[in-house]
Amino acid sequence: MGLTGLQIFKLLPKTNCGECDLPTCMAFAMALAQGKTSLDMCPYVSDEAKEQLESAAAPPIKKVTVGTGEFTRAIGDETEIFRHDKRFFNETILAIEVKDTDDVDAKCENFNDLKFERIGMEFVVDAVAVVNDSGDADKFKSAVETAVNKTERCLVLMSEDVDAMAKALEVAADRKPLIYAATNDNYEKMVELAKEKGCPLAVRGNGLMDTAELVDKVVAAGHKDLVIDPGSREMSQTLADLSQIRRAALRRVRTFGYPSMAVTTKEDPMEENSEATVYMSNYAQLIVMKTDEKAALVPLVSWRLNLYTDPQKPIAVEPGLYEVGEVNPDSPVYVTTNFSLTYFIVEGEVEGSKIPSYIISVDTDGISVLTAWADNKFSGDIIAKYIKDLGLEEKVNHKKIVIPGGVAVISGKLEDESGWEVIVGPREASGIPKFAREKFGK
Amino acid sequence: MLVIGERINGMFKDIANAIKTGDPTAVQEWAKRQEDNGAAWLDINCGPASDDPVSHMKWLVEVTQEVAKAPLALDSTNYDAIEAGLEICKQPPLINSVPAEWPKMERVFEMAAKYEAGVVGLAMNEQGIPKDAESRVALAMELCAAADSYGVPMEDLYIDPLVLPCNVGQDHGPEALETIRQVKTLADPPPRTTVGLSNISQGTKNRELINRTFAVMGIAMGLDTAVADADDDELMEAIACARIIMNLDIYCDSFVEVYKDRW
Amino acid sequence: MAFNIVKEKYRNKISQVTIGATKEEGGTRTSTVTIGGEEALPYLHFEGNIPNRPVTALEVWDIAPPGWNECFNQYYGDVYNDVGEWARKCVEEYGAEMICLRLKGADPDEDNRSADECEAALKKVLDSVGVPIIVLGCGKFEKDNEIFMKVAESGAGENLLMGVAEQENYKTLTAAALGYKHAIIAQSPIDINIAKQLNIMIGEMNFDTDRIVMDPTIAAVGYGIEYGYSIMQRARFGALGGDKAMAKPMIGNIGWEVWKTKEANAPVSDFPEWGEQEPRGINWEIVTATSLLCAGLNIAVLRHPSSLAVVKKTIDDLMKPNSY
Repeated sequence: MGLTGLQIFKLLPKTNCGECDLPTCMAFAMALAQGKTSLDMCPYVSDEAKEQLESAAAPPIKKVTVGTGEFTRAIGDETEIFRHDKRFFNETILAIEVKDTDDVDAKCENFNDLKFERIGMEFVVDAVAVVNDSGDADKFKSAVETAVNKTERCLVLMSEDVDAMAKALEVAADRKPLIYAATNDNYEKMVELAKEKGCPLAVRGNGLMDTAELVDKVVAAGHKDLVIDPGSREMSQTLADLSQIRRAALRRVRTFGYPSMAVTTKEDPMEENSEATVYMSNYAQLIVMKTDEKAALVPLVSWRLNLYTDPQKPIAVEPGLYEVGEVNPDSPVYVTTNFSLTYFIVEGEVEGSKIPSYIISVDTDGISVLTAWADNKFSGDIIAKYIKDLGLEEKVNHKKIVIPGGVAVISGKLEDESGWEVIVGPREASGIPKFAREKFGK
Repeated sequence: MLVIGERINGMFKDIANAIKTGDPTAVQEWAKRQEDNGAAWLDINCGPASDDPVSHMKWLVEVTQEVAKAPLALDSTNYDAIEAGLEICKQPPLINSVPAEWPKMERVFEMAAKYEAGVVGLAMNEQGIPKDAESRVALAMELCAAADSYGVPMEDLYIDPLVLPCNVGQDHGPEALETIRQVKTLADPPPRTTVGLSNISQGTKNRELINRTFAVMGIAMGLDTAVADADDDELMEAIACARIIMNLDIYCDSFVEVYKDRW
Repeated sequence: MAFNIVKEKYRNKISQVTIGATKEEGGTRTSTVTIGGEEALPYLHFEGNIPNRPVTALEVWDIAPPGWNECFNQYYGDVYNDVGEWARKCVEEYGAEMICLRLKGADPDEDNRSADECEAALKKVLDSVGVPIIVLGCGKFEKDNEIFMKVAESGAGENLLMGVAEQENYKTLTAAALGYKHAIIAQSPIDINIAKQLNIMIGEMNFDTDRIVMDPTIAAVGYGIEYGYSIMQRARFGALGGDKAMAKPMIGNIGWEVWKTKEANAPVSDFPEWGEQEPRGINWEIVTATSLLCAGLNIAVLRHPSSLAVVKKTIDDLMKPNSY
């Protein structure tokens, strides 16, 4: 959505000169909001107003890209306050701090290992944030060079020293790192560097108001690939600032029309993980954190996945044969869909039955049992074929399969097509433990 | 849509009589009754026959507030009466109303900013009520710009497209509805909208049916509030239902009761 | 440019619920907790009053819990068989602000304990600790209805938070809580419409709906948490906008959900790329709890002492003022 009539009207000269062929500036504003006229019909509009009006066609939050190649990551381009209103689009970049006083080589080695598989998907932690902790430009450059050579993932270069940044960029610029950060003291030169090298630039002020002024100065100096760090380092204030930035951006305050970021302050890895969760849940599009422990990052990355799923679209688990507990050839076999909520509830209840079992998750495009059945995606013949494809016959020494009670009607067809005995299970997953004890208990 | 209960109005005999005799019983009964049936505001109007609107407005506000929790809508063309009411309102009321005319807008928006009150802005001016939606929207825009210049937030401006009885001004119906739709695009956040609901059925047969049909059509277009008869159960039920269908309230089986249980 | 802080105006606030009663109030608690009362979205202090901090509880069972991960043995192993001592340890050593007693022993599939035994378990907990108590049934409708009245009676005066009332089974518990003046947990199956309706149905039994704590049923991170998260956000936003039926504080059984998952329990040897098991489980609990706090959670029922410690610190930080 572009600017509204009221927003345009406020930017017009309000002379009511009529040269735009409309009687008043207000009429012109309304016509312009509806796309019925064009801005160049107004001879007196200021350059500043012109720029603001033209940029209104842009998305409310600019999309900013960090990195190159396979690990390129885009952030920004968000449109919502609540994920349930539509969805969040571009997942938060997690950047792990490596100080130039650390053993950079070893830290990067460890960082590269931060990839894991869950629910059939591969996750990687996105970025290394090299910190100029030494204060020494050459040391920073050499640390950045090591990181460049060690990892292909995104880079964040953290130094307020323009000379150190310039040196680091000599070796890192073609990787499109995020330059962190332009501040009140250095922004002119940082902007020059970022422009020259074509890299995204983080802008860090001292609190929200100060940050707003600084962003405007940076934009005036000619750089627009920005990530905003409001600079607050208290959790509660950061949460408020991140919320304000999102709200303002969606209300077309151009100053804040960029992705935002936060830097954690907690030293303890678990407290830091909690802190990062707060920022991720409250719009941070990039988080710089210290812990590189897998035990912390796996749940954080899982939360990110959940937060950024499309609420309109059911999330699916990988179709396939799942094992619950120590299965053996006598274990019962349950069938359900691959709608994740259905699957996980069934899995939980099967687990609760304490009888090791198989669960077949049939590919129903992630929709639930009854919907899938109505849509002919959970029919006797489809399930029969899938049992065959999975080679279930070789896994168990019986030919019995449990189907959800809600679709008892498919039993006949399924038995005919598969040759397996169909046992109609409970209608609700919560009935599984009792059902299992009665049917399969010792 | 939320209802501004219309019943405390000197046009009604019992209210006129209460004003005349100084007996607040009828006023207070209607205040409670409207509130119990889901009115979100209570309209306060001394009626055309009042010879002293300033003191009558004050009295109505006082006696209503003694029994009611709902905020009020001070309904008068006499701005001194409105200001007298504003001074004693316990919570920010609505000012009902102002047309898109100077200097009336100056007086009203200044008061609204001072008392943090909402304003019902009428899509009409010295030339009267425009016929088509486009001209109504242009007047709505003038109201938005004026409110904004006095620091009245859009959420506190209630644009009334002005509804005419459907037996005499039938061609106004679609224009008023279209105005409601377009008003919502004028600003972000948008101004709110309101109508005097019973105007649509003035002098017609089957008034309640016409009122509630217009109400649900208006809700579909973005109608936020209406001065209406909160005592009309079928109207309140239709509104509750339309709010559910428009995803304005979270559905539950008791959605009608929830809609009415406001205070 | 001149930048205007965006402050939303809300019509309504969340109801405020106090749990526990001191001697002066007719109970024996040494402390009470008050939750709810928010006039703004979570932790946006600049926009409205957030009078009460969320609270943490640790979960104890009336029987030694079969199937809990072995990592809990070092914390609770010595007290698994004495629910009073277990609760004491949770409060005195681990800092729980409330105790959530789950009467799992009543489950016909566990020890099928009688109402008298449940009463005894509650008495033990009440005698050992001074914090307010949440009491949950075993989750089997028929059995819970046998024990609720007795439990409510034996906790009379203590202002317990009793759960759970569900759409299919709310009358006995509501009557019990009504009779003995306890607060109630209304649990809905990840369904916002049922959540709302259940509050109304409970109210129709003349139970004061400002004594309801909602449990929208949350899942662990990675297991559909986003559904509960969005329901909580919608409920809270609707409530602040005037939907009184949704304006209740919320509780989440985080430990219960998290420690069911493979990710919390699997040994590192099974999934080397997931890191060590115990810290992984703790972090799973922390991330689940923290994200739900951000959606408006008021009571976090946890299981691991380390999760509790971290979540409490985060709550401290979130409750610090922010302003413009």
